[in-house]
Amino acid sequence: MRDVAIAGAGYSEIARAVDRSVGSLTLEACRNALSDAGLTSKDVDGIATYPGGHDSVSSFYVAEGLGLPKLNWFEDLFGWMPAGITPVIAAAEAVRAGHCETAIAFRTVKRNRTRPPGQGFGGRVGGDAQFRAPFGDVMTSQWLAMWARRHMHDFGTTEEHLGHIAITFREHASMNPVAPLRDNITIDDYFASKIITTPFRILDCDFPVDGGGAVVITTEERARDLPKSPVKYVAGVFASGPRPDWEQWDDLTHMASKYAAEALWRRTDITPQDVDVAEVYDGFSWTALCWMEDMGFCAKGDGGPFFARGDARVGGKLPTNTHGGSMSGGRLHAISHVIECVQQLRGECGARQVHGAKTGVVTAGGGIMAGAALLSRSE
Amino acid sequence: MDRPLPQPDQDTEFFWEGLRRRELLIQHCDECGHWIHYPKPACPRCGGTRVKPKAVSGRGVVHTYTVTHNAVPGFEPPFAVVLVDLEEQKGLRLVSNLIGVPPGDVAIGTPVEVVFTDVAPDVVLPLFKVRET
Ligand SMILES: [Zn+2]
Repeated sequence: MRDVAIAGAGYSEIARAVDRSVGSLTLEACRNALSDAGLTSKDVDGIATYPGGHDSVSSFYVAEGLGLPKLNWFEDLFGWMPAGITPVIAAAEAVRAGHCETAIAFRTVKRNRTRPPGQGFGGRVGGDAQFRAPFGDVMTSQWLAMWARRHMHDFGTTEEHLGHIAITFREHASMNPVAPLRDNITIDDYFASKIITTPFRILDCDFPVDGGGAVVITTEERARDLPKSPVKYVAGVFASGPRPDWEQWDDLTHMASKYAAEALWRRTDITPQDVDVAEVYDGFSWTALCWMEDMGFCAKGDGGPFFARGDARVGGKLPTNTHGGSMSGGRLHAISHVIECVQQLRGECGARQVHGAKTGVVTAGGGIMAGAALLSRSE
Repeated sequence: MDRPLPQPDQDTEFFWEGLRRRELLIQHCDECGHWIHYPKPACPRCGGTRVKPKAVSGRGVVHTYTVTHNAVPGFEPPFAVVLVDLEEQKGLRLVSNLIGVPPGDVAIGTPVEVVFTDVAPDVVLPLFKVRET
């Protein structure tokens, strides 16, 4: 098995609404990642993506759009997968195993503006939703709100704690020129923001945008000959939990992140205390809180105080979501978390740079599925 | 817009059919004794396929909840969605709503019991009300 590195990372244009096709955004992100790596499309022989709910384009589309002669490996990863980290882990493992030499992993998000959240459930509803929708339970925000509420009940987590998560990520976004939300917020702004579903306010939710991100993955040996310093892909894991149903999960105070953490730390001598920067999935504020606890970055139940103390700020104990996360950096479904981690480990992050960052963790997914990867600066 | 209604399939029809007879039926594994929800062709604990609908008491406790302020089809916000832990087994849960409790008064730990509620000519929902203990 070969050592693997992320050699390049790039975004497309990102904004609340971009009047371009999802294909055009995707190809822009892939080209930017390739040029960042100092490679051309001729070097690529593998592609992976997580096309989400069919809201993006396929690997084949990108192969054609970049003019690749042929692919030795590709995967379009549908279904309950931990978002944008999914193709990154898949592509890294494919390079490690020798299925391909250089792979692009991408995730592009283009919002569906024809219906607001929860509005696709009129009439008769089948599948698991037949046990939810008749009771008005139709949004992911409601599912995770109920997990968050139980966590508050069991551990004393407060709305103010959640507010400090939003404040922290916004402060980081204020130092990130590509973040769509860059104005700092106060705890008063937080409490004044619209309630979506308790305990979540709009400022507890990720911020939908149009845009894409891509990374280029190759062998560490090859990456050493490229212009930028390579970021080593140390390990990546996927994890589920005891039950596939959100409501039937035994203990709603931890997510599948607990199992991802166990799997990840088993794979390495690196410990949570060695991590310099964490980019954890923040579909909602509480998702990030739970990831921090489950990964072992703070004690179980201490996630709220961890954020309220400022431990997650740049300059704090473990800077977290240094790009602003999905809540202030835009909902790019965790591919931005991967890109930010790469840029932090290369020392490219300007005002929000975590000084001397050598080891980073990226996570994605909430509730019943999780993915996590450990990256480090190559010596 | 009206509340969305269930579209049963081969695995779930017994649940909705039982409710029409004012019975709350949950799938039960005859091999290991595990209660199973949502219904499926095999037991998630032991993998056994001898799974059969069996009546439960309809008594439970509010495990968690959310008060939704967004517009959702068929509901006037704000309204509460609750997860009810049925007394038969830890973590055996139904998504539901509480009758007679203002959204702001819903609380974890509240003892509740099922109320069979007609919402369409062929659909009875298992809603819940506070249970006197
Ligand atoms: Zn069984």
